[in-house]
Amino acid sequence: MWYHFIEFFDWFGEFHKRFKIIQDFNKAAEKSWETGKAPYQLKASITMGESAYKHANSKYLTSGFTIKAFTLNPMPNNELKEIGRVILNNQELVRRLVSLGWDTLYIYDSKGKNGCVWALKDFANFGGFLQQKNEDDE
Amino acid sequence: MNNILLQIQTDSSNILTYKASNMSCSSFWFWFSLAESILIIFLLFRCLKRKSNLAFSDVSRTEFENEKGAGEIDMGGLMDSIHGARDLYKELSRECHPDKFVNTPQQKVAEEIFQEISLNKRNYKKLIALKDRAINELNLNF
Repeated sequence: MWYHFIEFFDWFGEFHKRFKIIQDFNKAAEKSWETGKAPYQLKASITMGESAYKHANSKYLTSGFTIKAFTLNPMPNNELKEIGRVILNNQELVRRLVSLGWDTLYIYDSKGKNGCVWALKDFANFGGFLQQKNEDDE
Repeated sequence: MNNILLQIQTDSSNILTYKASNMSCSSFWFWFSLAESILIIFLLFRCLKRKSNLAFSDVSRTEFENEKGAGEIDMGGLMDSIHGARDLYKELSRECHPDKFVNTPQQKVAEEIFQEISLNKRNYKKLIALKDRAINELNLNF
């Protein structure tokens, strides 16, 4: 029973780490856009996740990792998919996201017309548990 | 004497009625707390049962903890991969295609490099390293 107290204090540590990932991502995206490497700016935020994509480590109500691409015109879906594939291909990042309680990856354009969603559990390799789905299934 | 006895009797009856009202009040809170605790136990049980059915329920906490405590993620590299990996992959796969090196001494190296390029097509850093390798080993100019 005592370890529940540790879990309670851990929650604050996790909160800090989650916030740091979001902050690092946004800073890197801003820098990339400012230097002209990126044609559009990306911004990450924490949202609600899909209940169907929950895993044992999911956070309640804050399990969605949402990336918004700020463009003047609506972004085509294949561009959004490509961003998602690059993120899901980064095994280190996906594992970190899953361990910090995220379970859903959303990618939208700023107009909100197009978007893609993935279950992170399908792309994280924990304990030899790999369920690599066909990337075109989403 | 009679008066005193009667006084005692009325007092005791008052006390009895007061106790009875108090009892009904405390029994209400007793049943309320009992119902509340049953509800909490039910929700906890349901929550634990649901967690055991979910993915990664068999993964130990230490594995998650190790992952949380691992080093910083290279977000700059990730941004480069998002915005630059696709174009670089196209360029490299076109230039290093093994068909360009048929019946030459570099054919095997070109096949190896092409396979590596296909495996790391969304990793900008690795593609840059492969580009350097292609320049050195296949004598290509980009």
